[in-house]
Amino acid sequence: MFRSHVSVTTIRPAPLLTATPVRTLVDEQACIKASFLPSNHPVTVCARMRSDEGDLWQSFAHYNTNSRVNSDLSVGGSYSGCEPMGLFWSMQPAPGERDGLRLRKKCVESPYTVHISLLEGHVSPNQEPVKELAAVTAERWYMAPGVKRQEIRQNGLVGTLFIPPGPGPFPAMLDMWGMGGGLPEYRSSLFASRGYASFCLAYVGHKDLPGPPNTINVRDSYFQAAFQFLQDHSHIAADKVGIVGLSYGCYLTFHTATLAGVKVGHRKEHVEHQIHLPFQSLLSLKHILCILQILMKPLVLMQLEEITCPLMYIVGEDDLSVLSIENADLETLRAAGKSHLFTRLSYPGAGHLIEPPYSPMSRASFWVVKPEKLMTVWGGHPAPHAAAQEDAWKKMLEFMELNLRR
Amino acid sequence: MSLSVQQVRMDNKHPTVKLSVHPSRALMDEAFVILVQNVPPGSQVTLHALHRCEDGHRWEACAHYVADSSGNINAADDCSVGGSYFGVEPMGLLWSLKPVPGSKPGLRMRKKNVQTPMVVTISVFKGHHTEAFMDQVPLASWVVERWYMAPGVRRIPITEQQLTGTLFLPPGPGPFPGLLDLWGGGGQLMEYRSALLASHGIASLALDYLTSKITTETGKMVDNQYFETAYRVLQQHPQVLGSRIAMLGLSLGTVFTLKMAVYSPVVKLRCAVCISGSHIQPVSGGPQQMMDLFSRNFEKISFSEQDEVIWRGLLLPIPSDPSLKVDVGRLQCPLLLVVGEDDQNWCSHESATDMKQMMERAGNDQLLTLLSYPETGHLIEPPYTPHTPSSMFRGAGVGQKMRVLWGGKTPEHSAAQEDSWRKIVTFLRRNLYGGSDPHAIHLSHL
Repeated sequence: MFRSHVSVTTIRPAPLLTATPVRTLVDEQACIKASFLPSNHPVTVCARMRSDEGDLWQSFAHYNTNSRVNSDLSVGGSYSGCEPMGLFWSMQPAPGERDGLRLRKKCVESPYTVHISLLEGHVSPNQEPVKELAAVTAERWYMAPGVKRQEIRQNGLVGTLFIPPGPGPFPAMLDMWGMGGGLPEYRSSLFASRGYASFCLAYVGHKDLPGPPNTINVRDSYFQAAFQFLQDHSHIAADKVGIVGLSYGCYLTFHTATLAGVKVGHRKEHVEHQIHLPFQSLLSLKHILCILQILMKPLVLMQLEEITCPLMYIVGEDDLSVLSIENADLETLRAAGKSHLFTRLSYPGAGHLIEPPYSPMSRASFWVVKPEKLMTVWGGHPAPHAAAQEDAWKKMLEFMELNLRR
Repeated sequence: MSLSVQQVRMDNKHPTVKLSVHPSRALMDEAFVILVQNVPPGSQVTLHALHRCEDGHRWEACAHYVADSSGNINAADDCSVGGSYFGVEPMGLLWSLKPVPGSKPGLRMRKKNVQTPMVVTISVFKGHHTEAFMDQVPLASWVVERWYMAPGVRRIPITEQQLTGTLFLPPGPGPFPGLLDLWGGGGQLMEYRSALLASHGIASLALDYLTSKITTETGKMVDNQYFETAYRVLQQHPQVLGSRIAMLGLSLGTVFTLKMAVYSPVVKLRCAVCISGSHIQPVSGGPQQMMDLFSRNFEKISFSEQDEVIWRGLLLPIPSDPSLKVDVGRLQCPLLLVVGEDDQNWCSHESATDMKQMMERAGNDQLLTLLSYPETGHLIEPPYTPHTPSSMFRGAGVGQKMRVLWGGKTPEHSAAQEDSWRKIVTFLRRNLYGGSDPHAIHLSHL
């Protein structure tokens, strides 16, 4: 009824592939092991998953078994060497998928389902025929159990609030992304999964915000209100609120923290360009990029001196989208007697998009597609960028722990 | 909660207390680490677990800790000095769960729906408390999910050839080694052990052989062929390796596991696992004859001081008549026996001793591995679920529920569950996945 062909293989029936744990948060490690394989045998481990938009992402690595059951060094594929989480961070869109993709989870209440398989020989997963020996399915979550997600549309604010389980009050973060707009929730949901209430705030390119979508139509008062919203929240400790921003969000982080009436418990930044720009002058995203590359140094330095709270500044040295490195200037801070507040993390080989760890990176992607397609080169090389993401996240959480909990 | 949130903010002098449990989503048999940070050094805190089971009953456990000089507590390293368990017990909050005061007596926790997780709320309270947790506000809480099914495991009801069962297939191309999973005299179709085994790479068929559809409809018990049919269905399944099948039985399930392993011309096992059971049985009979044997020996029942039924004497003394016990000297596959020395329901310990002697006399005792656990009762289950020393139980086909004594002391029984499960999974994997067979044939599926 089902068997018409019997083939002989040197691999005894069913090697076993395991992932421990099988369900993890995105910033947790999973240990992948293959057992019951013969020694001196070439195998390929391959990981595949679909984004929320349906695009197929994949990675693979070549291993040789030796007299020990598990061999730790990849000898080829999407990464090489000893990389326990390599299968996750080295994923790229499969051949034939759309151009210019960037992996960003829209729905944080469901996990990524990753199909990890063990293939015979050193192969590429797209080469036919491929013999799958074993497989395991892993889930990667952006939200821990018990975290609550609330859409916030009040007092003109557009954002999503994540509250950890428990009675509170919790330390909190105001979370802002870049000029790409929309409302990415995944960093906030991870912060909440680590015990911090987190409010990701939309300020451009969102249907619930006033005015045309490709300009910033909100004023200083919007960001002040967002910060105040956190301080006033019954589950949040008003004196333990920080701000995090990536890309243009850094400028906003900085700017919000220096607004009158905003007293920040601590602050953290994340890859950035420090330019003072009146909001109203931003006409289109294409122009933004050009303007930001013209540094207005005196204004920048004035900004830095106004810090009143600890600031962590994270930069990728291969950031090709903005001139980030030149922006952070320790001398000015020292002159102002504020260098003790400043922590700078600079990562060689890392690009602009330093995201939560073990996530695939995009060296270039479509930043906007309407009214015209704009591809941005973010920079970064996979292995150093992955190392940067892992280290930066760990240091970011430690910085938050030190400043918001103690 | 009787306190308003505003009052919480005023009273809660420790907004910085952090509680984390990792991993927060795990399989039922995986350990977690509970960490409490930023409490005043040397202060007393209580860890608490609360679970609402499928039947709606609430279960809780608590443990008393003293924070170290850094203001931290790690339940995997630190000692509990009071509450539901004592000493260093990383998973104590789960296995020491008991029904909350005021609950119906004689409860036993068994998950029926394996496709959803067991959800437990872990909290930390200031001070050392053993009761009235619902009237207090914790310093912090966390939520964990405990799963019987790994992602990608497929659940397939089996109804062909008048069988009542559920097959759990691991994720992947297969084919997989298989296992026939038999529970005991309570009947029903219990899926959770099979779901967990499939999460470890073994295609596992949970089989209801006492309250199957055919029995419910005809009133007649199935015979031994029912087990052989189940074996065949498993063996012929395209995703199962027909030459690598095991059987696992608990309690009454061990009777048919041993019978099939030794006497069936159809069932060829790579290995067998028998938990809390016996080889004593009418060798040529089936389920009905086994029930008849129990009925004939009913006067051997005794009762505890709390009027709990003790059934362990029903099959004693160990017979010498060969028609009354499986001749394990003829066994040809590895056998893992797991027994609790405080088993009040079956004479599993005495039976295991007799089986060992029979195999030594026959010269096949190298096939035997015997795990015998002191202060451990009858219901040796996968780890980290509450130990049930006694509960309300209705045997299949019996009219009324009785309060039955299973035995065991909670800390020792829980340790036995953890140790035996690990050894069971290793034994199964070694025998089902391993084995040196250089000419092994891989059956491709076209």
